[in-house]
Amino acid sequence: MTVHEDLLAPDVIEDPYSYFGRLREEDPVHWNSLYETWVITRYADVVWSLRHPEFFSSEVFLRDPKPPYPPILDEDEGLYDFNKRYLSHWFIRRDPPDHTRMRRIPHLQFSPKYIEQRFRRMVQDIIDFLVREFDERGRMDVIQDFAAPLPILVIAEWLGFPKEDREFLRQSSRGVLSVDEAAADRNERTAKALLTLKEYINPFIEERAAHPQDDLLSLMAAGEREGTMSRDEVVGNLILLLIAGHQTTINLIGNGALALMRHPHQWDQLKRDPSLIVKATEEILRYDGPVKRAPRIAAADFELGGKTIRKSERILIVLSSANRDPRQFTDPDTLNITRYPNRHVAFGGGLHHCLGVNLARLEGQEAIKALVQRFPPFRLEMETLTYQPLLNLRALTCLPIAWK
Amino acid sequence: MARKLRVWVDHNVCVGNTMCTTIAPKVFALNDQRQSEAVNPEGDTVEKILDAAENCPVSAIIVEDAETGERLFP
Repeated sequence: MTVHEDLLAPDVIEDPYSYFGRLREEDPVHWNSLYETWVITRYADVVWSLRHPEFFSSEVFLRDPKPPYPPILDEDEGLYDFNKRYLSHWFIRRDPPDHTRMRRIPHLQFSPKYIEQRFRRMVQDIIDFLVREFDERGRMDVIQDFAAPLPILVIAEWLGFPKEDREFLRQSSRGVLSVDEAAADRNERTAKALLTLKEYINPFIEERAAHPQDDLLSLMAAGEREGTMSRDEVVGNLILLLIAGHQTTINLIGNGALALMRHPHQWDQLKRDPSLIVKATEEILRYDGPVKRAPRIAAADFELGGKTIRKSERILIVLSSANRDPRQFTDPDTLNITRYPNRHVAFGGGLHHCLGVNLARLEGQEAIKALVQRFPPFRLEMETLTYQPLLNLRALTCLPIAWK
Repeated sequence: MARKLRVWVDHNVCVGNTMCTTIAPKVFALNDQRQSEAVNPEGDTVEKILDAAENCPVSAIIVEDAETGERLFP
């Protein structure tokens, strides 16, 4: 292998598809000696990994015996421990039975039917409002002015937080994600954001326990009252729902907007035939989805692709590489908004398959449809686009456009 | 007499999320591929089976009346 091992190097952040594509072809179950982690890149192996939680534990904080990589400041050990413990309340970072005990509480509110009935109209109304606002300005940042406000308004309303707090909620959420960056002092930003959110959320739980409303805060507060979850688990998982409810969808919309801008024929095709929006959204999820990888830790010794993975070794399941695997997809590096079937793994799979899948799809479909149907002709205002230096998320820094 | 159902799982869609095997474990079970199979459509009540189908995150479960062929879900 001649590839370097720095998963946060600028070339990997800018173009993960080339980097992980080489691994997929040359060494599909690869040991990265720098991060001390296995890197799994082929579609069949990724699907198998996602469906075998008995080998692939999600308790990546609780069960990791090794020091963090990239290295952190010596004086931040305590903060790192706090972050590890706090983030381990998230059900996505737990195995059954804890995973199931916690996920089951919000789950029934995430059924396809419920999402459709509660959110389709709300999402369309929010988009109407956003489109009216920037129509007059002549320019905008697609990320800041469109892709971000929509999901943050939806998730704030669903959780039960005042919509005036949306910028605070977005910034604090981004703070929590710092733990995925390379900077040695990243733990301080994450811990600070977690504590700020915890302090913000606590009074809401007291209030909803006394006066339940039709929101997720009330549902989770009831979970605490019934003894299913502790207070820390309730707050931790509300933070999870907040972050997962918008940091991902922002990038589905942002990456989708960019992909279609770079493929003007398909943009026109979708404009002529809006019924393509369901397939187009799935193709955007496959082609440049918001979540690049799912972290795991080996729960036992086992074999995969001729390699022996030992208990407690780290594993990265690279969803975005599986979605470009030529063994599964014809012309995988080509955007094709009519692609069908399209069994991508952008939402993961198995037990941990994205809880918010139906809301993400709904928001993605409506936002991308609006972008194509309702925006005046515009041009990209920047030649070179940059991505946030994160391991997990494929996140544009900004996407400025101006009307022609 | 209880209504007889025809229940099956679309394996082009099923992601192995296991909601159905949690809600109606007597009806649904995972196969070797870790996808769900409706192993015993008579293993639970109609309500429970429809509950499992409605809560499947990817709507992979199809339910019909075995005698009339009437589509009950989706």
